[in-house]
Amino acid sequence: MANLSSFRTIRDIHSAFESKKLSPVELTQEYLAAAKKSQTGAYLTFCDDLALKQARAAEDLILKHGGVPRDEFPLCGIPLGIKDNLTMDGVKTTCASKMLETYVAPYTATCVSRLEKAGAVTLGKLNLDEFAMGGSNENSAFGPVRHPTHPDRVPGGSSGGSAAAVKADLCFASLGSDTGGSIRLPASYCGVVGIKPTYGRVSRFGLVAFASSLDQVGPFARSVEDAALLMDVMSGYDPLDSTSIHQEKLNTVAATRLPTDWSKVRIGVPQEYFVGGLAPAVDRSIQSSLKWFEKQGAKLVPISLPHTQYAVAVYYIVAVSEASSNLARFDGIRFGQRPAASDQAKDLNDFYMKSRSLFGSEVKRRIILGTFALSSGYSEAYFKRACQVRRKIVDDFTHAFEKVDLIVGPVSPTTAFKLGEKNSDPLKMYLNDIFTIPANLAGLPALSVPCGTDEEGLPIGLHLMAAPFQENRLISAAHAFQNGFES
Amino acid sequence: MVDVNESLTKQVAALSRLELSETEMVTFSSQLSQIIKYVEKLQEVDVAGVEPMSHPFELPTPLRPDVVLASPKDAEGKPKVLQSAPEVLYDGYKVPPIL
Repeated sequence: MANLSSFRTIRDIHSAFESKKLSPVELTQEYLAAAKKSQTGAYLTFCDDLALKQARAAEDLILKHGGVPRDEFPLCGIPLGIKDNLTMDGVKTTCASKMLETYVAPYTATCVSRLEKAGAVTLGKLNLDEFAMGGSNENSAFGPVRHPTHPDRVPGGSSGGSAAAVKADLCFASLGSDTGGSIRLPASYCGVVGIKPTYGRVSRFGLVAFASSLDQVGPFARSVEDAALLMDVMSGYDPLDSTSIHQEKLNTVAATRLPTDWSKVRIGVPQEYFVGGLAPAVDRSIQSSLKWFEKQGAKLVPISLPHTQYAVAVYYIVAVSEASSNLARFDGIRFGQRPAASDQAKDLNDFYMKSRSLFGSEVKRRIILGTFALSSGYSEAYFKRACQVRRKIVDDFTHAFEKVDLIVGPVSPTTAFKLGEKNSDPLKMYLNDIFTIPANLAGLPALSVPCGTDEEGLPIGLHLMAAPFQENRLISAAHAFQNGFES
Repeated sequence: MVDVNESLTKQVAALSRLELSETEMVTFSSQLSQIIKYVEKLQEVDVAGVEPMSHPFELPTPLRPDVVLASPKDAEGKPKVLQSAPEVLYDGYKVPPIL
């Protein structure tokens, strides 16, 4: 038995493969066994056959090349978990919804197929808030995910399974999606690294759409370097996604190997992010992180993002409006399940209503809110105004990034809260996303990197944001921080 | 400010093609009313002359040649897109009679 938690980086695993301490098939079997035994609720589907086939292919590659062919197959034999709103050919994609409980996708998401081509092993599909709507992973139709070290707490959402699985050694790294913080929040709560790339950097083809102008796929891993490698592999233009950006494939891993000239790094500290309301332990950890950057020689620059206070309101109009439109495709005809009652429907509208009864409460609430914001008589006052204020929020960032290279602050005002604590109060849950939402509205790359723990040992994440397409800067600073900072 | 009462919730739910139970109607109305009240703060922002932004970057719509590609088939030669349809007839989606 290998001790899965002893593998800190992909490099450790590749060394173990080469020294024959462990084979890709053995490693895959161990992760699958651990995942099946786990009580976290992180997985929804296991892909044993596929994973073992991929692991055997990795073994063959290593044999054939007399070692791990890192250049061509940088993820050779690395076991990954995939958020269950990303499609894989022949595998169920449920989005943690009754609506898609039996849905088997006929194609694979571009981001997943790029990881597979780089040699990765896909262990299975990970739990989430239904259709990625939520911040606690309590909205899954198949049961919540529990925090990996504090089972009475939430792991954060919506990519709760993706963060918990990495922390609990149920996969080595994973994929999530981030619409308003759904990668960074669970990364922060679970104490792993989570990256949301620039909008358009990673193809959305095969990502079940929630809010199309905000959604972005990104990785979770223990180290910044490994998460960066996954992002690099997934990045690059995809003709199958009309919002994919024409840019070269990223090579942020190379950026982590260059020394940082800190005297040239200006770090923006937004006054609006420190106005009170931060849990004392969170505030302390963020402050000592800022001091660390200053000690390296970086310049801390106080900045203002004056429209921050409107971000949550803008988001909960824009995201739900887009969702109400995207989720109209679930009509009981083309995808997944159709309840028996639908066949007794008296007309077409009734048929849709009966079929769509399979959505959970949060999804219904958001579809209704979005339909309201787009409906005749209200769309000017709500949707249009939200899009106008969105521009003001984006302008705040544009001005800030004229003066600074990075913006640093908290990911969340608190550490992981208790299961059930905010579930009955949607607005309270929404307000928890205040620091993560602005990056989605502006399309910025951002990440969460662990920077401490509170009195109960619950992890705290440091939030770094950069200007669009400045992933190199973002990753190299986060990598240096993770390797140099001691909380 | 909009008064989100049960009648408005019912009307919007119908537009959304969602059927709500009596309990859902009551809970949703009060939750939606609270959320709408919160987003009213957007009214205090001066947005005169601000172009609404619906997307983070201005991108041209990429076009590709209009070529018909064969639908991927499963091992039995049936279109793969139908493998998860609730009901299938020959090579198409089957829908119940609605008239």
